[in-house]
Amino acid sequence: MEMSIPELLIHDGFITEADQDKIDDFSRRSGLSYIKILLNFGYLSRKNYERSLLNAGYEFKQIRDEAYDLDILAQTDLKFADAHLALPLRVEKNKIVTLMANPSDELFIDYIKFTYDMEPQIILASDLDITWLSHVLLGQKYVKSAVFDLHNRDPESSALTTFTTPQLVFTFGIITAVAIGLMLSFVNTSIIINVLLSAFFLVSIVFKLFLALVGSRFELHQAVTRQEVRQVIDDDLPVYTIHLPVYKEDRLIKKLIWNLQSLDYPREKLDIKLLIEEDDDKTLTAVRDLDFPAVFEVIVVPFHMPKTKPKACNYGLHFSRGQYLTIYDAEDIPDTDQLKKVVTLFNKLPVNYVCIQCALNYFNRGENFLTRMFTLEYSYWFDYMLPGLDTFDIPIPLGGTSNHFKFEFLMELGGWDPFNVTEDADLGVRAYAKGYKVAIINSTTYEEANNEMFNWVRQRSRWIKGYMQTHLVHMRNPVKLWKKLGWKGFLGFNFFIGATPVTFLVYPLLLGIFLCYLIFDLTSIRSIFPDWVLFMSIINLMVGNILMIYVNMMAVFKRRYYELILFAIANPIYWLLHSWAAYKALYQLIVKPFYWEKTDHGLSKINNQPAPAE
Amino acid sequence: MSLKFKINISRGQTLVIITMLIAIYYLVCGIYLNNLGYFNQETLFYIEKVRIIFEGRGYKLKVIGLTAPALPFFATLPFTIISSLLAPAIASALGTATLFYLMAGTLVKKTADDFYLLLLIILFLFHPGILYAACSGKSIYMVLIFFYLFFLNIFKFYTSNTTFHISIASICLVLLLFCDYKFIWLTLFFIPLIFSIALQSLNLAEKESIFRMTLSFNSPSLRRKLINKTFALYVILFLLPIATIFCYKMLNLTNANDADYFLNSPYANWNVLAERLSYEKIALNPDFQSPEISLLISARIVMFCPLILFAITLFRRNAYQILTLLTPFAFVEFLHIKYDKAFLLYPYYLIFLILAVLCFIIKAQPVKRTILFKSVLSLIILVQLYTGYYFLNTSLIDDERNFITLLKNRTVDGQQDENRDMANYLNGLPDGSKILIDDAVAYPIVAFTNNVADLTLPYQENFLSAIETPGQYVNYILIANTKNLLSGYTILNSKYSPVIYQTGNNYATLQKAYETDHWILYKLY
Repeated sequence: MEMSIPELLIHDGFITEADQDKIDDFSRRSGLSYIKILLNFGYLSRKNYERSLLNAGYEFKQIRDEAYDLDILAQTDLKFADAHLALPLRVEKNKIVTLMANPSDELFIDYIKFTYDMEPQIILASDLDITWLSHVLLGQKYVKSAVFDLHNRDPESSALTTFTTPQLVFTFGIITAVAIGLMLSFVNTSIIINVLLSAFFLVSIVFKLFLALVGSRFELHQAVTRQEVRQVIDDDLPVYTIHLPVYKEDRLIKKLIWNLQSLDYPREKLDIKLLIEEDDDKTLTAVRDLDFPAVFEVIVVPFHMPKTKPKACNYGLHFSRGQYLTIYDAEDIPDTDQLKKVVTLFNKLPVNYVCIQCALNYFNRGENFLTRMFTLEYSYWFDYMLPGLDTFDIPIPLGGTSNHFKFEFLMELGGWDPFNVTEDADLGVRAYAKGYKVAIINSTTYEEANNEMFNWVRQRSRWIKGYMQTHLVHMRNPVKLWKKLGWKGFLGFNFFIGATPVTFLVYPLLLGIFLCYLIFDLTSIRSIFPDWVLFMSIINLMVGNILMIYVNMMAVFKRRYYELILFAIANPIYWLLHSWAAYKALYQLIVKPFYWEKTDHGLSKINNQPAPAE
Repeated sequence: MSLKFKINISRGQTLVIITMLIAIYYLVCGIYLNNLGYFNQETLFYIEKVRIIFEGRGYKLKVIGLTAPALPFFATLPFTIISSLLAPAIASALGTATLFYLMAGTLVKKTADDFYLLLLIILFLFHPGILYAACSGKSIYMVLIFFYLFFLNIFKFYTSNTTFHISIASICLVLLLFCDYKFIWLTLFFIPLIFSIALQSLNLAEKESIFRMTLSFNSPSLRRKLINKTFALYVILFLLPIATIFCYKMLNLTNANDADYFLNSPYANWNVLAERLSYEKIALNPDFQSPEISLLISARIVMFCPLILFAITLFRRNAYQILTLLTPFAFVEFLHIKYDKAFLLYPYYLIFLILAVLCFIIKAQPVKRTILFKSVLSLIILVQLYTGYYFLNTSLIDDERNFITLLKNRTVDGQQDENRDMANYLNGLPDGSKILIDDAVAYPIVAFTNNVADLTLPYQENFLSAIETPGQYVNYILIANTKNLLSGYTILNSKYSPVIYQTGNNYATLQKAYETDHWILYKLY
């Protein structure tokens, strides 16, 4: 009698009987198929699986070009096909041609017999190929939902429309008013603009210093202590979904597995989804070529514009099982106890806390000037600003990764906005507007800081464009937003989301005027601006710059990155890079608002082990 | 829980009420002294500048932005609504009451024993130095507030190790510098302290500082870490003060063409001439022997404030704290060497009182043998009341001595009578009479005049032209005569060309209109 696949694997010594029992037990409890558990929960590598089956005389076929019948496909739901890594394609010789990664999956074979009233003709194929084909052929419904669900449910919150008519009227109205003002009285209009900008700069920076001080006051506060983490009982932990949206990140797949394996969370309670785009063969091949067991499940996101990370994550939501959900980038190294800490904190917090944001920092901070500056910036942002915002109950613009959500809340809100290129910041504001809260936790995820200038500008231009989009979306009706967020939230939103791009756009202009004044002592500048305006502007510029430098120093001081402290002085230069990115972002906002500027990862030559603070 | 809450609230409210009573007490004293005619050079300087801002004509931005010390000057501004002559006294009264509130607030959080609060109240009610800070209208109150907050946060940093406290300390130091620039030198004497903190924070098994230092210097990685940390701590603490001063100097440079304008110009800083004058008046006397001799300064400080010795013993097992307490000693000794042509002002003694009280606020709670401790403390505070009086009474500075004399005798002070007389004469001149005055030395007169708009002062663009050709711009010229000790610091003195011209040849163009012991007012025809 022919051996079943599990028996074959035991026979070949790839898994033990104990493993087999564990898989069966987990399968019974979770409803997941045997093959899914075997290949995605660290039991067996795909290569060994193929090797074992090939030795037993099975043959794996290339299936991407197989013919298919839409009527046959229509009778199978993608989720079921995906769960069993099997797909019925067409009728041939009165049999259903069925792709299967596990030809001994009786449940799926019975499903074919009952559904189609025919015997299956099984084609053995790689689970990754079946996943790819099933999502491409059956995933349209889900991908359309991922793209349009938010727009259909809450069009006011969708960035599909970049500029509304009133916003355009307002913008051009302001430009016209300024132009008329300049024509009628060039000097007075210049003075008014200068004074407004200077005042705005100073208020903004003083407010940031204030928030940083408030944030720094709680720097020793631990939302979750080590003791509390030690008391967590593994059996009580819920299923935790981790989304890993990747695009052409083939270099990072091995690192990714190491990082995920070091997470202190029961493996069976992790639901890790590697979200790969349909056209991303590089990453798929990298997964296929792994010579050790994977700890994640691959989800292929069918092609649909816009090709953005939030769309991929929305798509992944349809296949997620967790009570909580988080997103990591491929190169992220979260603190090993992060998930347990988050679960503990969620249990401690009131129910209206729906998201927990972890701090982000960089493992390659000492690599070059850019990574050092990036570390300064992130340390300040995540260690001081966000706790400061949190203290004052101001909407927190969520960071790109390591934000942990309650799954049901995400579904309620319609997921991320696929047309917004900083979907997390947008989601933070939307959550706040609905009365939900975001908490900050004392756990850090170490990322790879961008170490290449053009790559950095691409990434930053996307972030700034996203802030512009988010601001435009939520400021469509300022009065309504004011009512939703309250005055603190409204001002906070405008200061942190709205003002950030403006600051970067204006900064080089003000700096240029100042340098001209300082170096060339241009008489024309003196004639335009009276002494009191220059007096105020110079104070603003100098005090503002010094305060921002100081705030950055404070942040790395807290992290004990003492060697970086002097680099804070280079911030005015670093902000010029921001300004470059801001102008690029502005251009893209007008010509291609949904375009996702891809950031290349894996460029760092530093061994990605985070150096803990002293 | 709710009971405790109620008690806390009640204690807080009590503190507010006590503070208000103390403020009223200071206000009454201040206004009373003011009515007796007490003014000092600093308050008159502020009054004059405030009047220029509100009543003067011309380009006043420099006066607003570059008058130093800036914060006490700005603090005076709001109270000019009540009375420009009383404004500095009101500011100092309320400011000193605020200092009491801050100190008492920290104290009640640390200990529930009201005895310490009582001692603090006694100190604030009766210590002549505190009364001087509260009622004189000088900037001492603000110096003490920020000095207190700076050291409070430094001490808090030792226990909390948070960036917050060290940043707040840094901000307090910035504010302190804008009350008294000389505190910038404090940054020098923090270097050993910061090094010690960095050394202690290294993760080493060795406990003795000297061995820790040997270990750290002999290991490249530890050495790097130590230097990085020392530097980082120093930067976090002192970057803001140093950078702010740099900015302020830039501002002075761009607006007055002199980076040190706020330090060196008598138009910006009252202390430039006051310090020199008080020193020259006394030190040039051949019989004069200064009690301020290096090293003895520290001894004088201990005499003035024996409490500081007691405070140091409280921290005998804490190296950081001891070093922190010794830092101001080094600072004051340095001031004496650096500014050798000036006497040590009373506030530099008073800071030790504040520091000592701060130590007791921090350390009062865990002390054993409470009764003995309290008795000794009470006794020392009583002694301090006397030393406070003694130091004021024997001060080499006129303003300080005058204050305590007036407080003691409560007789009318005639120090400013001459200035008032001249100002009254100016007030009585026909409307529209323009008077040329150099307020580098004549600011007390300007402070008492009624119509600043009629004065031609150095902040105005036409001042230099008026000096050149007074006939075209003004009707009167105020001259410091040869008896005036400050006549060497103004162009409008007896050597001013038009004066020489008229005294030698022609009475028809310039005629004395009014004369006091130190001033002559000429009328131009």
